[in-house]
Amino acid sequence: MTAPSSVEVGTELPTLTVRLTRADLVRYAGAAQDFNPIHFSDRAARAIGLPGVVAHGMLTMGVALRAVTDWLGDPARVVSYGVRFTSPVVVPDDDAGATLIVSGRVTALAEGRATIQLEATCEGVKVLGGAKAEVDLGN
Amino acid sequence: MPISTEHVGRSYPSTAAYQVSAAKIGEFAAAIGDPSPAYAGDQAIAPPTFAALVVSPAWSAMFDDPELGLALHRIVHAEQRFAYRRPLRVGDRVVTDLTIDKVRSRDTADFITATAQVRTEDGEPVCSATATFVHNKGAA
Repeated sequence: MTAPSSVEVGTELPTLTVRLTRADLVRYAGAAQDFNPIHFSDRAARAIGLPGVVAHGMLTMGVALRAVTDWLGDPARVVSYGVRFTSPVVVPDDDAGATLIVSGRVTALAEGRATIQLEATCEGVKVLGGAKAEVDLGN
Repeated sequence: MPISTEHVGRSYPSTAAYQVSAAKIGEFAAAIGDPSPAYAGDQAIAPPTFAALVVSPAWSAMFDDPELGLALHRIVHAEQRFAYRRPLRVGDRVVTDLTIDKVRSRDTADFITATAQVRTEDGEPVCSATATFVHNKGAA
């Protein structure tokens, strides 16, 4: 993991593919202390109109940022990060789970900082909207 | 009393201090599947979205505020933005101050935007977390 050497507007970040299973949701619930039952109970998820258990929005947000921090090398250089949760990530109760695909592109450069726009999809559906991270390039 | 624009500016007492530990950072990094060495050991920094764990007691205080009349099971996290002065680190003792920035009421739902400021006990600003929650009104 080294800092990216030449960054331009339009630079594409390596695509990140992450599989999320029910076990990952349980692990995140404990780590983040977020025990909303829609993240482990189909019954609770269906009661509010979801098709089934969904990933924590913050888990999707956290996983998606890895596309940036893996590329950047140093997570301390993230200056800001924002997303809209546009579609839930439905995680079926099987070994395959849900597959999240995250891509990113540099959209602006100014004063040693880069703005990266992220796209995150699950089963072809966009799950994050307006996802944008600003990073200090350290040069 | 349902939530309304009258609640804009409402703030909550500082949360109890949260002490960032190497063990919790390790658990959180594993939960987002990130093996970065930056998150390991006694000098670890926290993954950026760890801030949500730190501010969550402040969100809970707002959700539980009887003045707002919110029902927890009707609340959905719609937007989240973090701005960082520096990363959270092992050993930090931080508190959170939450203020309601904006309330928009629609027929079926209320949109509540609130900013949580995270600072050390000594007053050093660390990061802020601005969240928008949708409170679905549901059937009357």
